[in-house]
Amino acid sequence: MAKQIFEWDYSSYPGAKKYPHLFTPIQIGNLIVPNRIKYAATEDNLNQHDGFVTDADVEYMRRRAEGVVGGLCFMQGVYMDEARKGQGYVGQAACWDDKFIPGLKKLADAIHSQKAVAGFQLMDCGRVGAVEVPVGHGPSAVPQRLRIFKPMAEMTNAEVKEMVKQHVDAAKRGIEAGFDVMEISGIVGYLISNFISSYTNRRTDEYGGDIRGRMQAVVEIIQGVKEAVGPDVPVGIRLCSEELLDDVGGNTPEESMQSYQISEEAGVDYISCTLGWQESIYPVISRDIPQGNWLYLAKRAKEHVKIPIQMAYRIFLPTFPEEAIAKGELDIWEMCRSMIADPLMPKKVLEGREDEIRHCVACNLCLARLFRDAPMTCYINPVCAHEHDPDFFPKEVAEDDKKEVMIVGAGPAGLECAYVAAQRGHEVHVYDKRDILGGTLNEASKAPYGDEELMTCTNFQKTMCEKFGVEFHLGTEVTDALIEDEAPDTVVLATGPVYSALQGAEEDGKKVVNVLDVLSGKAEVGEKVVVWGNRKPGIGVALKLAKEGKKVTLVGKDKSAGFDINPSFKWRYMIYLRQNGVTAYNDCTIAEVGDGEIVVKTKNGYRFPVQCDTIILTERETNEALKATVQSEGIELYVVGDALVPRNLSSAVHDGYRIGLRI
Amino acid sequence: MPVNAEKEITKLWKTLQGAQGEICNTYYRWRDFAVEMAGENADPMEIGLKAAEAFGLYIGKGLLPRLNLLKGDEAFLGMVAKQLAGAWANEGAAVRVEPGEKPTEAMIRCDRDPWPTAAKTFGVPMEEVAQAREKMFQAMLVDVSLFFNRKLSIEMLKAIPRGEGEWVFKLSLDQ
Repeated sequence: MAKQIFEWDYSSYPGAKKYPHLFTPIQIGNLIVPNRIKYAATEDNLNQHDGFVTDADVEYMRRRAEGVVGGLCFMQGVYMDEARKGQGYVGQAACWDDKFIPGLKKLADAIHSQKAVAGFQLMDCGRVGAVEVPVGHGPSAVPQRLRIFKPMAEMTNAEVKEMVKQHVDAAKRGIEAGFDVMEISGIVGYLISNFISSYTNRRTDEYGGDIRGRMQAVVEIIQGVKEAVGPDVPVGIRLCSEELLDDVGGNTPEESMQSYQISEEAGVDYISCTLGWQESIYPVISRDIPQGNWLYLAKRAKEHVKIPIQMAYRIFLPTFPEEAIAKGELDIWEMCRSMIADPLMPKKVLEGREDEIRHCVACNLCLARLFRDAPMTCYINPVCAHEHDPDFFPKEVAEDDKKEVMIVGAGPAGLECAYVAAQRGHEVHVYDKRDILGGTLNEASKAPYGDEELMTCTNFQKTMCEKFGVEFHLGTEVTDALIEDEAPDTVVLATGPVYSALQGAEEDGKKVVNVLDVLSGKAEVGEKVVVWGNRKPGIGVALKLAKEGKKVTLVGKDKSAGFDINPSFKWRYMIYLRQNGVTAYNDCTIAEVGDGEIVVKTKNGYRFPVQCDTIILTERETNEALKATVQSEGIELYVVGDALVPRNLSSAVHDGYRIGLRI
Repeated sequence: MPVNAEKEITKLWKTLQGAQGEICNTYYRWRDFAVEMAGENADPMEIGLKAAEAFGLYIGKGLLPRLNLLKGDEAFLGMVAKQLAGAWANEGAAVRVEPGEKPTEAMIRCDRDPWPTAAKTFGVPMEEVAQAREKMFQAMLVDVSLFFNRKLSIEMLKAIPRGEGEWVFKLSLDQ
């Protein structure tokens, strides 16, 4: 008899009417889940390095549990071996002993406190594990392609059997801690996927050979865990629908579908459909991949098995899963990054507050941080991983402390600061000399490969500003006189950067132009273009022009192009620069500007000419405008975003948020 | 424009040659030191070959991200041959890759190599230079073979330090 842990009635919510399939119950094994929403297990590096759960992780999870409005909420995967070969992240929770159960129980309780279904995940990181020990373990000792991962040792037959037992024992501990659903992680290069793949499993014993042999350990784990947790607890598995490892001899898509069928035969109650490994050479989840791109894989999985199929992977908008579920091509909408960016995302969908969602911009900073042993953070969500810290949430100011705040600049830093300050009770006025919101994001979002999604930040901030009563004064340039006339209590300068001049090349709108004018289409450029500056603004405009057929040369002072782009996304840009024929001269300056060409000078002093008919200026510097006036008037002053130090969207948002809390 | 191309290229060329020469010199300076530290009873040739093996293993690991099986085994063999030749060329050798007698073979030929000259300066036996090159190539293939699950082997057919006028290696993909 199927049971439901918490009762939910969505009938009065607008989101349930708009997305009826998302808010329809589903039976998984013998458990009824009230809706089709799941926060998928995601590492956050917030736990102690010895595997004990911290309050930071508990509060991180509590917030996500609130977001799933009764759906499935999974804690991060736990490693299960005392030797720590299966530990892939320094802050990964452990479950190799009963001593971890009290901490795990706190997580289950936090999830239950929000009336959500608590999911527990078993995750030996295998090939990407051994983060704290010198050698990892796997089915075979296949060398690592990337030096950041530890060398591999082949597991003996007895060690494989012990690993199976570790999964079963950890599952029992998860149940004792109070979790409702058990999940086995077999994705992206973790141990289970290493056993399944022909690339990493070259064993000749019963755990190797054809796909059935390579699935043998998985089958034993599924059967052992099923028996351990009993009939009331659903057991699921996350499996690659395509490994994207054809360059190194990985599984075919047919073999991957066989792995689904074998798992179903072994008794799993659902499959989470994933794709790609961390070693794959193809992009899967970065912004350059269109949203909904991979849903065909869920559909294919549904054609191969009868159990429910769940999927994440570039499904940020509810319209995609709603439609897929309606068509019978998906059963449950999984989220990781979209709920890192906004933990209450599905709750806002349910409540008809979609315009209040802070959308993930698929930059993968969160992943880059995890791989570098740093705690989780989010490019776009300043509160992420600070959920346990009350100082990171807006507090209403006392009536006597309310201020009149003038924010100069309606870009991401200014708007973020504006709504947070207004939320706290200040009277906030945002000025911008242009008559649009978003500042330079308006231009930045014109760059190719998905950058239009950056504008979701402005849309969110606009909604929040309106919600909290921020007054906009668009088309109004703030002058010294205006500041003196208005005499606000506080001025926040969010004016954006100043674009650096290039010696010998005065900006004339013809031969020497500004990056913003090019991206917005105001400036025309010739056929041979030199872009001065090799950070993201330069790369964005270079790619836009190269795709239009221009011959583009990027010249910049940084040692490598894209210094300001996080490593988990930067590799995509490097490939795009190459594919689009952009020549990059890094660690270089423009020594001279002549007629029809420039002279590039390397850091060693070598000089060579580059033909060009247009130079685009993208180098930026601190903006000092208005500072002196504000200070001389004795007004409280803050400078945020690129006006303070030219950086990126993330810094603008984080600056704005923190100053919004501080005023 | 006031750029003297000939002057700039000459400067760059000299710097490159200097850097390539330093690769050999640095290697042999370290070899001298290692031999001295190892004591009188140590066999210098054994030390040299051990070093060549260690270098090869390290360089071979670096080849993994640059290789793939997307275009089949023969193309893969060609890629490996080019990588070996490229690594040698970076050290200052004039190297080329030619097809072998079979599709599963590639020849790596070199008719100019700074290593024997540098070795002579440091008093290193020519036979060690020959064997070290072969050992290094063999070591470079260890991880490549294991990672891609393909059996690669390399055989030295001729060696400049043996007075044979050129280096010739046969790279084979064993079936």
